[in-house]
Amino acid sequence: MATLETATRVPDSETRPVNPRSGVARRERRNWRQYVGFTPAAIVFGIFFIAPLCLIVVYSFWQTKDYNLVPEFTTKNYETITTTDTYIKTLGKTILMALLATATTLAIAFPFCYWLVRYVPPRLQRVLFLLVILPFWTSYLLRVYAWVAILGDHGAINVLLKNLGLTDEPVRLFLYDTPGVFIVLVYLYFPFAALTLYSSLDRFDWSLLRAGVDLGASPMRSLVTILLPQMKLAMVTAGIFVFIPILGEYVAPEIVGGTNGVLMGNLIANFFKGYLLPLGSAASVLIALVILVLLVLFRKGLDTKDIYGS
Amino acid sequence: MAHDMEVVNPRAGLFRVILTAYGLLIYLFLFAPIAVMILLSFNKSKVVGFPMTGFTLDWYSSLTQNMIIQDALGKSLAVGISVTVLATVIGTAAAFPLVRAHIKYRSAVRVFITLPIMIPGLLIGVAILVLSTNILHLQPSLPIAVIGQTVLATPFVILVVSSRLESLDRNFERAAADLGAGPVQRFSFVVLPLVYPGIVAAALMAFTLSLDEFVVTNFIIGSDQTLPIYIYSQLKFGITPEVNALASLMLLGTIALVVVTALGLRLIKMLTAKSRQEEKTGVPA
Repeated sequence: MATLETATRVPDSETRPVNPRSGVARRERRNWRQYVGFTPAAIVFGIFFIAPLCLIVVYSFWQTKDYNLVPEFTTKNYETITTTDTYIKTLGKTILMALLATATTLAIAFPFCYWLVRYVPPRLQRVLFLLVILPFWTSYLLRVYAWVAILGDHGAINVLLKNLGLTDEPVRLFLYDTPGVFIVLVYLYFPFAALTLYSSLDRFDWSLLRAGVDLGASPMRSLVTILLPQMKLAMVTAGIFVFIPILGEYVAPEIVGGTNGVLMGNLIANFFKGYLLPLGSAASVLIALVILVLLVLFRKGLDTKDIYGS
Repeated sequence: MAHDMEVVNPRAGLFRVILTAYGLLIYLFLFAPIAVMILLSFNKSKVVGFPMTGFTLDWYSSLTQNMIIQDALGKSLAVGISVTVLATVIGTAAAFPLVRAHIKYRSAVRVFITLPIMIPGLLIGVAILVLSTNILHLQPSLPIAVIGQTVLATPFVILVVSSRLESLDRNFERAAADLGAGPVQRFSFVVLPLVYPGIVAAALMAFTLSLDEFVVTNFIIGSDQTLPIYIYSQLKFGITPEVNALASLMLLGTIALVVVTALGLRLIKMLTAKSRQEEKTGVPA
């Protein structure tokens, strides 16, 4: 840690911006003690995060012979996944589902955050915003399972419809199929999107809208031409925070999805549970590749400093 | 400032009503599952579902007799505390160089640190499973689960503590140095008192994350059961409202923990402000 240096005075270079070409800067760069604080994190991340992921990449090119892992190079695992009908369909479905759920979540969250920032008095606003995060403190599994009690045959919606005399038979549209998974995914990841959009809207200078209106734009037009472009980055960040976890989601499909709602996450989980390591590894690498491409494309939206700082 | 739209737009009143209704609808969406979960914990019927057949507190009282749940609670707390300590120490140690050391590609390092948050837990879970069984020859167990959760929690700690550290005015340290304070003194009497609310918040985040972690833990915990693992095993065989009662109590416990921590931080802030006031005036306020 920089503050634990032996010098009594805080060196100037540590407190003031220094000319990068000066002697001080060169000496500073060579001082390894300032990086000591990274050591424990580097060890833990190195052994239990980087190494395991590399191992997955390696295994995805190995073969199994008589149920044993053999270190012989092959691309067969990838071929199996990309040529087997169920696998490739599931991969496509997962990406489509992630896209749809992300778009829906953003579309729902934006007007909500707009309302929170502009129409709710500041004191109440903080409380209401805390309420958005509150679901995080409830059992994730039971929040998913509660949807069975809402959407199921004897669920809240069907009981309500029956009591209103609208249906005699329970409506089986949602549960144990793809729509149910979709609803639960939007529900699960809404707070992530709201968190990002809220912090960005909260910092927006609303007098700009006023200026737009004063200059003759309609309120709607000033919203679209002034506010929306400034929200682009926040939208991207929020989108990434929703899209990526869905790619690996296996719990929600398992609980509410039935056989039709299976996503890539379930396939991967089953491969590993069935000791099909190379196949599971190859599927994992494919998912990781999609994520990597996204992260590189949208790296600007990744400055998470603002979100967790607040 | 917040309402200047209304001045210019005659329809803004209507707009406001619609948006408010919409906002409330969102809260219904967010809290319906939680309300259902709590409601069904009071249901007489053994089946978790509607319609409710009667009100009972039996499921809460039967919790006290369920040894499996109590064992799982104990393991959850043990794992939670271990993860909190590990992640807070490792994360805080890393936050300092992240903010203060000379790093050429600071934002790249920051993105790298957030990777365990960005990558789906599933991939982290299976990767750690494969590493521990195939390379380290360690069967999935409680300690492996602690390590896996630490990997997940540490990035949050780094982000929270480093953002607190960034807002710290380094003139305080310069002043302390000018007054003769050594590095250890500067750290313990200047930096730590200013940064600790961030560290406490980060520790709390790590603890609550650990308490509910399932996605990664599921793969690496082996035969031991923390509460989420127990709940999952029950989901497979059809749960009883007892699990709902358990989750309702956990929600209550978490809220209490967060409120107590927030109040505690505020109290300490008030007390230190008061004692400073006393030092200045020489009179107890």
